[in-house]
Amino acid sequence: MGKEYLGEFEELVLTMVAVLGEDAYGNAIVQEVKERLDRKVNLSGVHVTLYRLEDKGLVKSHMGGATNTRGGRKKRLFTITNAGMALIRAVQEQRMSLWKLIPQLKLVGS
Amino acid sequence: MNNQAPSKFALRFLAWFCPYYLYEGIEGDLLEQFDENLKTMGHKRARRRFLWHVLLFFRPSIILRNNFKLNIINTIMLGNYFKITARTIMKSKLYSFINAFGLSIGMAFCMLIYLYIQDERSFDQFHANKDSIYRMEVKRYNTWKMWSEDEDMFSSMAYLQTALGPTLKEELPEVIMATRYNHGGEGVVTYGDKVFTEDLTYVDADFFQMFSFDVLEGNRKTMLSGQLEAVITPEVAKRYFGDESPINKVIEIDREGKKSFTITGIIAPPPANSSLTYNILIRQENRPYYDRNNENWGNFGCPTFVMLEEGTDMANFDDNLAKIVDKYMADKIANWSLPEEMPEGLAPFTYLYSKLTDIHLNTEIGWRNNSDPQYSMILGAIAILILIIACINYVSLALVTSKSRRVEVGVRKSIGANRSQVIYQFTFESIILAFVSMLFGLGLMKLFLPAFNSFTSKAISLDLQSLSEITIVGILISILVGVIAGSYPSLVLSHFKPAEVLKGNYSSKVKSGFVKPLVVLQFAMSAFLIVSSVIMYKQMEYITTKDLGYDKEQVLVIPTQTGWNDNANTAIKQMRQALSYNPNIVAVAGTSSSFNRGFSLNGYEIDGVEKSAYVYAIDTEYIPTLDIELVEGRNFDENISTDTTAIIVNEALVEDMEWENPLEEYLNWTGDTIGLGFKVVGVVKDFHFRSLEHKIQPMLMSMNKEYTGYLINMLVRISPSDIPATIKEVESEWRALFPDKPFDYNFMDEDIDRQYESYSQWMSIMGLATGFAILISCLGLFGISGVNALNRTKEIGIRKVMGAELSNIFILLNKQYIWLAIVAFAVASPLSWYVMNIWLSDFEFTITIGWEIFALSMITGLVVAIATVSYHAIKSALLNPADTLKYE
Repeated sequence: MGKEYLGEFEELVLTMVAVLGEDAYGNAIVQEVKERLDRKVNLSGVHVTLYRLEDKGLVKSHMGGATNTRGGRKKRLFTITNAGMALIRAVQEQRMSLWKLIPQLKLVGS
Repeated sequence: MNNQAPSKFALRFLAWFCPYYLYEGIEGDLLEQFDENLKTMGHKRARRRFLWHVLLFFRPSIILRNNFKLNIINTIMLGNYFKITARTIMKSKLYSFINAFGLSIGMAFCMLIYLYIQDERSFDQFHANKDSIYRMEVKRYNTWKMWSEDEDMFSSMAYLQTALGPTLKEELPEVIMATRYNHGGEGVVTYGDKVFTEDLTYVDADFFQMFSFDVLEGNRKTMLSGQLEAVITPEVAKRYFGDESPINKVIEIDREGKKSFTITGIIAPPPANSSLTYNILIRQENRPYYDRNNENWGNFGCPTFVMLEEGTDMANFDDNLAKIVDKYMADKIANWSLPEEMPEGLAPFTYLYSKLTDIHLNTEIGWRNNSDPQYSMILGAIAILILIIACINYVSLALVTSKSRRVEVGVRKSIGANRSQVIYQFTFESIILAFVSMLFGLGLMKLFLPAFNSFTSKAISLDLQSLSEITIVGILISILVGVIAGSYPSLVLSHFKPAEVLKGNYSSKVKSGFVKPLVVLQFAMSAFLIVSSVIMYKQMEYITTKDLGYDKEQVLVIPTQTGWNDNANTAIKQMRQALSYNPNIVAVAGTSSSFNRGFSLNGYEIDGVEKSAYVYAIDTEYIPTLDIELVEGRNFDENISTDTTAIIVNEALVEDMEWENPLEEYLNWTGDTIGLGFKVVGVVKDFHFRSLEHKIQPMLMSMNKEYTGYLINMLVRISPSDIPATIKEVESEWRALFPDKPFDYNFMDEDIDRQYESYSQWMSIMGLATGFAILISCLGLFGISGVNALNRTKEIGIRKVMGAELSNIFILLNKQYIWLAIVAFAVASPLSWYVMNIWLSDFEFTITIGWEIFALSMITGLVVAIATVSYHAIKSALLNPADTLKYE
């Protein structure tokens, strides 16, 4: 994974795709981020990021079935690929190993 | 209800830029968000929010995904598009011809204008030292008021004191070289038995080192180091020496006395884009009255160029120039009658300078061959006008013929083409057509170039570099034209819904309403050109046929070639004597300056008021020869000795002096402190001694040699019977009397017409442009009316069955075009009226722009338009209804 690099927002979106599982599409991610992290993100930003992740092979997409809401438009549903899963896992592990290196005393003293 | 939906515009915009394969997902998400928003906020805010979010999607990372995809598909489809384009062109040959014809002429014009502008900008750029050479100028307070009221208080000019050049070089360390440059004095040059009149150019030795004209023979550094040396161009050398080497040959130049000059150099002729020209170069010191002028710092007649050291501080140079003014001019300026208060920051006398490369397009300061950058703009505007007219042809023809492409679009769409591909296809088609037109345009440009050169008095030639530049410009123009002209038709054509088109249901009518404004625009442009050229033509006709107050026909103007001395007067007398036995010679007269051959304006003071008058030296024959009308008094008489101090004035001078009885008056115009001045013996009716750009101003005529000078122009009036033979006879008399002088002659009316040369050039350009504009728009109209008549074939058939006459149908089909033409004229008339008034303001004597000019132009335009559309109207009106209706 050495060469792969994820931006903060990319990582967030990728994680969200993983979290939402079968029902990950643009608007759902925006809603989810808003509810869980209380953070406002732009729909266009999310879409662009999703397409970029798809280019990198970290997610893949397919069109969902027809819906009654949203003007009958189909959803573009995203699922995380194995590569994507491996990448966020590696990021997570790196974080943890770095976290452990922080001297704990520092939190107590000033 | 409608408010519950997001704005249609936003959705359409999204569909336009968004890649097709992403569109549904994005649109769905946006709609979902919109529905959410509707619940929590008002519909207005929700709609605004929706638009905002659509705009946020308009970002490179989305749009660029488009191109990526388009490119792949289009390279696949390109071959097909090309094939279809070729077939369409072949199938509708007439329409393709109309389009290609207009576009190629428009492009040829654009390319010519490009060449013109390039040429204008290339002036004087070929000098290696161009960045350090400056032309000196002077800005001074007008000590004697000129005639026109609006004359500036200050005037600027590039004519300086004779001594300035050497003084600057000597006294200012930053001036490393300086040359004076006087061009155009005529002298008679003799070598052996060859005698010609030549233009002489007076310069200093630094000339050859400052400027980069090619020296073909001789040493650039030592040329003109001796006072009696001459440098000539190969053309001059050929005239005198044939194939012999001219170096070290001695020629005689007669200019106020003969002198012998040794030729020490051959210099290449100046390029066409040079502000400096020359044929024969000799030293300044040989200029007539050089010594007198050199000592007089009040005499301005000498253009001067300096070359500054690299890195000169220009502010410092300004200071040094001010010091020169103080040193040499202070005592003169002290005598000027200056106003109480000078305008802020302006000195009565300042030296200025321009970069060598700025001279050509500087219109503030006169220079022999400078030009107005406005011309480039006018020419460019005409070219763009023609190009727009041609583009409109393309758009309107594409729209009215779009019916035939419907099925194609339907089939393409139903087998998977999306809208952007159809757009791309039609744009591609128009670009191909534009390219083909460009190739024809290149050919046309080559064809037009000689004519264009003569219209604009340029010498543009096509070399490999300019040809390749022009090709690149042409390609850029054709892509631009292709995209602009192709965009609207392709948007319309790509709009067809396959299901409707393929079902054969033609109810979805093309909105061809847009065609009408386009045709109006096109016709308005043509109408503008028509009105403008009619006005220009009328004005030129007026000028060339206006009664000038004298008879200019059948008069030969012959320079006496004697120099500014009494020999001139003697020559006139000898010639008159010699020709007096010839029945074909009506009269021989002499004058100091014939029409359009210079003038002399004298300032004088009467009772403290500064006045000025044009002064002409004439002889007793002048007034009768030219048939000038005397309103009071008499002509000069040889036998009355006091007539040498008498004058004949024109009515304008009488009016200026407010004389009641001019014949009892004296005019002291020579600054005589003792006498009364010159007695007025006659008053002539005002005649146009200058061009019609000028008012008739006060002028006086005298036979006094001391003050008015010598008769260096001989006027010979000949009978109109056999002009060439008479000229031969005059020439042989001349050869017998003055074997050492060349016989140069011109017709006076030609001299006079030459004053308006630039105007008639512009008139030809306008005429040509108008012709093409009318031709192109008529071709377009012809195409459109053809399609319209075709579309209404059945209607006409039914009307005829019901009993309509031929004339009814004719009117039915033509009515709309007449309305279009009238609207177009209504739009164009005020505009052309405004523009033409500006043009006419150059002339003091003009036609009045009356309604009849507009009426005339409009009727012409209408007749041409009706003639164009009538072909189709008559053709379809004559069709047998049985033929057109039987397939129903």
